[in-house]
Amino acid sequence: MDKIKKLEEIAFQLRKDVITTIYKCGDGHPGPSLSSTDIIVALYFEIMNVKPENHQWENRDRFIISKGHACPTVYAALAEKGYFSKEILPTLRKINSILQGHPDMLKTPGIDAPAGTLGNGISIGAGMALAARIKKKDYYTYVITGDGELNEGVIWEGIMGAAHYKLDNLIVFVDNNGYQSGGKVDKISGILPLDAKWISFGWHVQEINGHNIKEILEAVDIAKKTRGIPSVIIAHTIKGKGIPLMENDNVWHKGAPSKEQYEEIMTSLGGE
Amino acid sequence: METRQENSRVAFKNALIDLAQENKNCVLVCSDTILVVKAGDFEKRFPERFIDVGISEQSAVDVSAGLASCGLIPFFVTYSGFITMRACEQVRSFVAYPNLNVKFIGANGGMASGEREGVSHQFFEDIGILRTFPNMTICVPSNAEQVKDAVNEVAKVKGPCFIRIGSGRDSVCDIPGQTAFQLGKAQIIKENGTDVALFAMGFILPRVMEACEELKAEGINATVVEVSTIKPLDVETIAKVCNKTKAVVTIEDHQVNGALGSAVAEVIAEHAPARLKRIGLQDVFPESGMPDELLDKYKIAVIDIKEAAKNVIANK
Repeated sequence: MDKIKKLEEIAFQLRKDVITTIYKCGDGHPGPSLSSTDIIVALYFEIMNVKPENHQWENRDRFIISKGHACPTVYAALAEKGYFSKEILPTLRKINSILQGHPDMLKTPGIDAPAGTLGNGISIGAGMALAARIKKKDYYTYVITGDGELNEGVIWEGIMGAAHYKLDNLIVFVDNNGYQSGGKVDKISGILPLDAKWISFGWHVQEINGHNIKEILEAVDIAKKTRGIPSVIIAHTIKGKGIPLMENDNVWHKGAPSKEQYEEIMTSLGGE
Repeated sequence: METRQENSRVAFKNALIDLAQENKNCVLVCSDTILVVKAGDFEKRFPERFIDVGISEQSAVDVSAGLASCGLIPFFVTYSGFITMRACEQVRSFVAYPNLNVKFIGANGGMASGEREGVSHQFFEDIGILRTFPNMTICVPSNAEQVKDAVNEVAKVKGPCFIRIGSGRDSVCDIPGQTAFQLGKAQIIKENGTDVALFAMGFILPRVMEACEELKAEGINATVVEVSTIKPLDVETIAKVCNKTKAVVTIEDHQVNGALGSAVAEVIAEHAPARLKRIGLQDVFPESGMPDELLDKYKIAVIDIKEAAKNVIANK
């Protein structure tokens, strides 16, 4: 089967898993999870060199979901990859679960860094990238941040530091879905122009459609060929992507669908 | 009681150089603090293991977390308050919570260590803040030799640790019987008798020893206990001494809330009822000044320790 088509099918399935997980949990962040889905699929199912059976393998590529509230998609990807059983997904946010409301690297196999309080993924990723340099390893570190998350000051500390240290083994995606918790990013505390900001901070910048798997793969290829500076891929995305009920409706930043809504979604997608 | 000055900052740096020589995983992380610990020689010897992220402490803690998650042992050094307050949430959520092997070295611990810089550079809340974090080991050495020991000890711990150091002009005195720093152990360093117990942490120890001597001259026999590990706390030794003396004074260069005074009060309340007076900053912000002037003005003077001792003895 065509590689891209196969990845698109995985993304389609993961979106259903995310909705089912959040529905069964009764809580979570569906909108932000769905906007990140295609990037996460491209990373876990094509780009990243990982070993689910040996999740702490020293040479693995690292991944940080800095916008930690999108973890339902990461959990779904990890389950699909075989880090743990898919049956565990509905235990999200429930007592004694390995799946915390926000990522916990000690509880969940495959999670490389904690996340949840925004702004920290780039600096943590820079630490991982520096560790690769010190230990003479050739793994890459990938980070997904939100666009609203770029309000955080520590994000820019990390951006400056990664450029200073010329971390070309660090690749950051901005899941640029245009919204944050309270509404549109440009209405709350605008961050534009994003490309000019990153360029002026010394990064290699690409802009892509974050739901086009082919563009994601090509952008990562280019980022890997870019030497001497870190790379950011500004991925234009749609919050709630793939679920018409949720697309671009910020009500779905956080919350679970009702039984009726869930059934309607699943019927439209051809079942769980 | 003869006091002299030692440089706890350089003691840390020298200990780290020795450690880094043996252990290839040790990394020094600075936030424009290379001069604070005079680490130019570390950078020269281990350039690939020296990381200066600039004046960005939150990022420094995150970078350290990333390094530790990949098997390295980062030692992040800056002023204590920039670790425990500026980057407090990073320490909690990205190091303590995932139990990562990051070592924090906090300079200017206490009012006297920040001295003339004023309140912005005097950090007397650091231990209280960190004590609330699970997984955290907290050391407060009282001289350069102990700093060296503490660096070696925390390197053996797999998890987050904090070592409080001073200004680089840190008051110490020779204490016969004071042995090497032992992680997790409170040390009885003077045992004149059981009239009163004096619990101390950090570089104010010479004052406590002086108070102990003066009390003896007045016929009051004190036991002096140095508590150089605040977490995990040596509850057994502290409770034993409290039970014997039933009269306790804690002395620290920290707010009386949160650190040694609070920790000993908790032991007293739960294990060993005794009278207690806490010497330290009494819920106030101090000011610029010379270390001894500050300690005297803010009631951490020898006379204050003696008065507190007499007070708790009278109320046994």
